Amino acid sequence: MKLEVKNLYKSFTNTEVLHGISFSVESGRALGLLGRNGAGKTTTIRIIMNLFEANKGEVLLDGNKFIRQNHHIGYLPEERGLYPKKKVLEQLIYLGQLRGLSSKNSKENALYWLNRLGVEEYKDKKLETLSKGNQQKVQLAETFLTNPDIVILDEPFSGLDPVNSQILKDIINEMIKENKLLIFSSHQMGYVEEFCEEIALINKGNIVLTGNLKDIKKEYGKNRLTISSDELSLDDLKSIIQKDLSQIARVIEMRKDFLIIELLGNNSKNDFLRSIVEKDIDIDQFSTYEPKLEDIFVEKVGEK
Amino acid sequence: MRDFFTVFKFELMGFLKKKAFIISTVIICLALIIGLSIPTIRDTFFASDEKGEGNSSEQQQEQSNNVYGYVNKNNSITNVEILKENFFIGQLNEVDSIETLEEKINSGEFEAGYIVEGPTEYKYVVKNNEMSDMSQMPFEEALKKTFRVSELNERGIEYSQVEDLIYPNVQSETKVLGKDSVSNYLYTYILVFGLYFMIILYGQLIATSVASEKSNRTMEVLVTSTKTRNLIFGKVLGGALAGVIQFGLILLTATVTYRLNAEAWNNKLDFVFDIPSEVILNFAAFGILGYLFYAFIYGALGALVSRTEDVSSSATPITLLFIGVFFVSMMGMQNTEGILLKIASFIPFSSFMSMFVRISMGSVSTLEIIISLGILLISTILVGIFAAMIYRMGTLMYGNRVKLKDAIKLLKN
Repeated sequence: MKLEVKNLYKSFTNTEVLHGISFSVESGRALGLLGRNGAGKTTTIRIIMNLFEANKGEVLLDGNKFIRQNHHIGYLPEERGLYPKKKVLEQLIYLGQLRGLSSKNSKENALYWLNRLGVEEYKDKKLETLSKGNQQKVQLAETFLTNPDIVILDEPFSGLDPVNSQILKDIINEMIKENKLLIFSSHQMGYVEEFCEEIALINKGNIVLTGNLKDIKKEYGKNRLTISSDELSLDDLKSIIQKDLSQIARVIEMRKDFLIIELLGNNSKNDFLRSIVEKDIDIDQFSTYEPKLEDIFVEKVGEK
Repeated sequence: MRDFFTVFKFELMGFLKKKAFIISTVIICLALIIGLSIPTIRDTFFASDEKGEGNSSEQQQEQSNNVYGYVNKNNSITNVEILKENFFIGQLNEVDSIETLEEKINSGEFEAGYIVEGPTEYKYVVKNNEMSDMSQMPFEEALKKTFRVSELNERGIEYSQVEDLIYPNVQSETKVLGKDSVSNYLYTYILVFGLYFMIILYGQLIATSVASEKSNRTMEVLVTSTKTRNLIFGKVLGGALAGVIQFGLILLTATVTYRLNAEAWNNKLDFVFDIPSEVILNFAAFGILGYLFYAFIYGALGALVSRTEDVSSSATPITLLFIGVFFVSMMGMQNTEGILLKIASFIPFSSFMSMFVRISMGSVSTLEIIISLGILLISTILVGIFAAMIYRMGTLMYGNRVKLKDAIKLLKN
């Protein structure tokens, strides 16, 4: 399966919030939809889920118009919520039935997922009596109830403690292995780096970056190196590079333990290294720079 | 359709399992059972040999314990026996002087006293003149009769002959050719009031239920699970059936309990419970459609707010309109031929109540009933569709309450 989002435009009361969003994702892969708060991630997801209608653009599945009702979709909305005053199992069975499962299947699946998430013992309790963490697990059980082929998670890790995050991570990894199509939005880059092969970075309603995460990282790391010295402080090292090697490289950033530099013109790694050796600087660490997603994010979106 | 029934069942069971629903139904039914069984309970546990008669003689006994006094000044009354016989509220004792009379009234021996100064003239003496004092009229009546008897006797005429002429015993029977509004009034009143109460109560409950799905954020999960049409129709019809079940249970309890106790009631309440089947059928048809009509509106209004506490303010205009409809119908019960009631009986906002009042208490042609029912049916379907659209639009609008007027504008866009 291949899900394509093509050129989505959306306005609310004459304010355009999406200005042509496009990306695509295939089964067996996870797409990370990134962006700051208010960038348009949830609106995009709601258009995919047919909660909003786009003013322009389309969503295709294998080349045909994507109709949400024809597929089992595991959707975790940003606005979490279930019936607080209803019993856990009772409401899961109901929601499963609404999504086309028989009452028996719905119950079986609900029990499976409650068990899998470690909250089976609360099945006959009212949701509101559960702790927040356990309520979130019930919400996840609800999301995966139909064993969906397409999974769309809006900020799935927000509010989860490390243990629950790990449980969800395992499930997501499993789903990727089971060849499911997965989209998830987040502003927590660590998780996106962990699962997503593809990313789409949205800023103020525009796609500012999209594609394979490895390729993007490679592109961003190109011509960039990290360096540190045993005998010189980073400040001293920086001033030497700025003063004496300004024809070869420039310092982009100073991190806690190293400097990030960019090679200028046609200079190669070796050219830079030679110049450093000529200066008789004792090198502690020297390597090509592999940017973190967060670095790319901050650079693209501008502010931390 | 399957999803509709799933929602319908879930919502219906949600209402039926609510503690408030169970407790209120049980309390009302118990109150009816106890209230309607009181005559039987009284007959069983407090039966006296004389039954009804026992009561009235007791009352007389109690009354005759009250003692009144009078002074017959200048022997103004010659036949005091007649005066005493016709004084019904107690015992009438003669005293010699005004002083003795006042003394006995002050000491509490006499309730009150009368100083007779002539055959048609007296003074009333009482310790404290109270608003509710009723001791003067009976004495006056007795005095008048005494006067009539003695005057007629003097002219040689037998009083009883004249009495038969002046107060002849009239026997009457009523034959009603149309509707008997007198006996219809009470059951129409009860049914209309019941309907009013159900719509106000369940309308608010449905609106709150919709709003709570928004406030606890279940809405997004629901609208991505099934069509909104199934959700709103399932919810409204589920809530409506819960109301019908409650109303039906209460009516059934009242009817069965009364039937079991009818004898002890001496069939006094037959006119309330003997509702013609034609009226019941019309009540069911108009009542249920009207109920759904308003339930859909309340459902849509619930979707326009994000917090349950905003429901009542959002629903105020429609509640006020509904109360107006209720008053028009109630006033119409006094005059079923009134033009206002006639107009109201064709407008879907009011026809379910106004037309029912006309059917139950006045005379309406079958054609009029069919037209009114047709308009109501079509309007209810349209309101249902409209409610589904509002609901769909309102589902993801969080924040301030959206006014119905603005919602309609947005729908147009």
